[in-house]
Amino acid sequence: MPPFDKVQPQNKPFKQRKSLATRKQEVAGIRSKFPNKIPVIIERYDREKYLPPLDKTKFLVPHELTVTQFVTIIRNRMALLPTQAFYLLVNRSGLTSMSLTMAQVYKDHQDEDGFLYMTYASQEMFGH
Amino acid sequence: MDAATLTYDTLRFGEFEDFPETSDPVWILGKEYNALTEKDNILSDVASRLWFTYRKNFPPIGGTGPTSDTGWGCMLRCGQMILGEALMRRHLGRDWRWARSQKQREEYISILNAFIDKKDSYYSIHQIAQMGVGEGKPIGQWYGPNTVAQVLKKLAVFDTWSRLVVHVAMDNTVVIEEIKRLCMPWLDAAGACGESEGVGELNGCLEGACALTEEETALWKPLILLIPLRLGLSDINEAYIETLKQCFMLPQSLGVIGGKPNSAHYFIGFVGEELIYLDPHTTQPAVEPSEDGLVLDETYHCQHPPCRMHICELDPSIAAGFFCRTEDEFDDWCMRIRRVHLCEHCSFVTSLSHLSCNRGGLPMFELVDSQPSHMVSVDALNLTPDTHFADFSDSDRLERFFDSEDEEFEILSLREA
Repeated sequence: MPPFDKVQPQNKPFKQRKSLATRKQEVAGIRSKFPNKIPVIIERYDREKYLPPLDKTKFLVPHELTVTQFVTIIRNRMALLPTQAFYLLVNRSGLTSMSLTMAQVYKDHQDEDGFLYMTYASQEMFGH
Repeated sequence: MDAATLTYDTLRFGEFEDFPETSDPVWILGKEYNALTEKDNILSDVASRLWFTYRKNFPPIGGTGPTSDTGWGCMLRCGQMILGEALMRRHLGRDWRWARSQKQREEYISILNAFIDKKDSYYSIHQIAQMGVGEGKPIGQWYGPNTVAQVLKKLAVFDTWSRLVVHVAMDNTVVIEEIKRLCMPWLDAAGACGESEGVGELNGCLEGACALTEEETALWKPLILLIPLRLGLSDINEAYIETLKQCFMLPQSLGVIGGKPNSAHYFIGFVGEELIYLDPHTTQPAVEPSEDGLVLDETYHCQHPPCRMHICELDPSIAAGFFCRTEDEFDDWCMRIRRVHLCEHCSFVTSLSHLSCNRGGLPMFELVDSQPSHMVSVDALNLTPDTHFADFSDSDRLERFFDSEDEEFEILSLREA
C-alpha cells in the first residue's frame, strides 16, 4: 500500500484518505478472505456535535445482520440512551430501513469501490 | 414575489405577504382548501391554531432563572404548538374555530391555561425547560425536535385531564403492537396482571393498570405519535419531499416541528412547493392568567397570513406528529401510511400511470407490525463484536492483519443460539 496512506490525518473522510484503486484492492482482498461478510465504512457526520466518535471506521458484518441489530450495536458502543436521537444515513443521503438486512442495503447502495458507506448523526438544535 | 424572502425583518415590521392566488391545493393539517375561493376559510383555520411565541416578563423559571425565552425557546414553543394542536383535536375537534373577543368554551380555556407561562401549567415553558434538564439540556439551552418530543412525553403523564399517550417513535420506525399496548394497557393487564412483560418500561404509564375502571378499559387512550427524523445531513434529501407533503394530507396530521437552520418553526401545511408555518420568533409580553375565566387570548392566535418558505430550505431535523383519538383512527392512519409507502415503492419499481403514484419519493419512516425481537434487549442479540477472533481459525487470524498498514476492520459475527 502506498506509504502516504499512513500519514493522512484520521479525521479526513475514509474516501479521501485512499485512492479508488487502493479501496477497490482492499475490498477485493477482504471479500476473498471473508466472502460471507460485508465491508462497511461508518463515519460520524463532520458537523455532528452530540454523538461521540467511534473508535473504528471499518466493519465486516454478516449478510443476515439487520440494520436494527447493527444500530443496536453502534448505539450500545456509544452508550446512548434509547431516547437519544441516532440516525444512520446511507451514502450521506437517505435513512436506512431498519428491517432490511445489511446484505439488502449493500446490494442497493454499495459504492463503486465495494464498500458500503454509512454516516451517523443525531439532530440539529434550534435557537438564535 | 418569493415567499422565501419573508424574513425575520419583514415580520418585525409587521409586513405580511398575502396568501398566494393559486389554483394549487392548499393543505392545512389534513384539510384541503382552494386558495382562490376559500381564502377566508384558510385564514380562519390558521388563526384558530394556538400560536406560541417568545414571551418576556414571565415569572423566573425555577425561581431564579430566565424571565424570557427570547433567543432560546423557539423549539420549546414549537413543541407547545404541536401539543396544543393535539389538545384541541382531543377536546374541541378539528373543525372548531376561534372567534375573537368572544366568550370561549370551557375546554378551550383549560387548554390555554395548560400553556400559560407559569410554573404549574402542565406544558408551560417552565415545565418544558425544567423537564429538559433530565434530557441533558440545562435551562436556556437550545432543543431539537426529539428533545422537545421526549420532554412532552414525560409531561403528558401528569396531565390527568387529557389522559394522552405520547409516543415518540425512535430509529425512524413505528411499531404498531407497541402503540396498541400503550394506548390499551389493560389488554396486557387483563391477560397477565402482575406479570412484567417489559412493556411497563416503555412509557411508565402502566402503573395501576390492574385497578382500571370498566369505563376506562372500554377506551383507547388518545394517541399523540411523534416521529423524530433526520431527512438528510446538511440539506433535506429531495427524495423525501413528496412524502413529507403527504404527512400534511392525512386527517390525523398534527403538522411537523422543525425549522430553517437555527430557527424553529411549526409547519402546519403546504401549498405548491412552499411550507406554511407558524413562527415563534416574535417576543410578546407574558399574559397574566385572569380569575374570571376571561382569557386575554388574542396574542395566542396568529391573525395575519401565515409565513411560507420553500420546502428545500427545511432543515433535515424534524419531528412529524399525528393524533389518533380512537383505535379506528390509528388503524386508518396505518392503512394510509401503508398506501403512501406502497405508492412510493411501486413508483420506484414500475412506472404506474396512477396519478398519485407517478411522483414517487422515499418513505420517511418504517411502519412494522411488531417489535423485532432483537430490538427488545441487546442480550437477546447473541451478537458480539468478535474482538477475540473466537470464531476464526489461525489462518483467518493471521489474515486479519493483511491490512495492518491501515486501521483494522472490526469483525462482527452472529453467535449461534
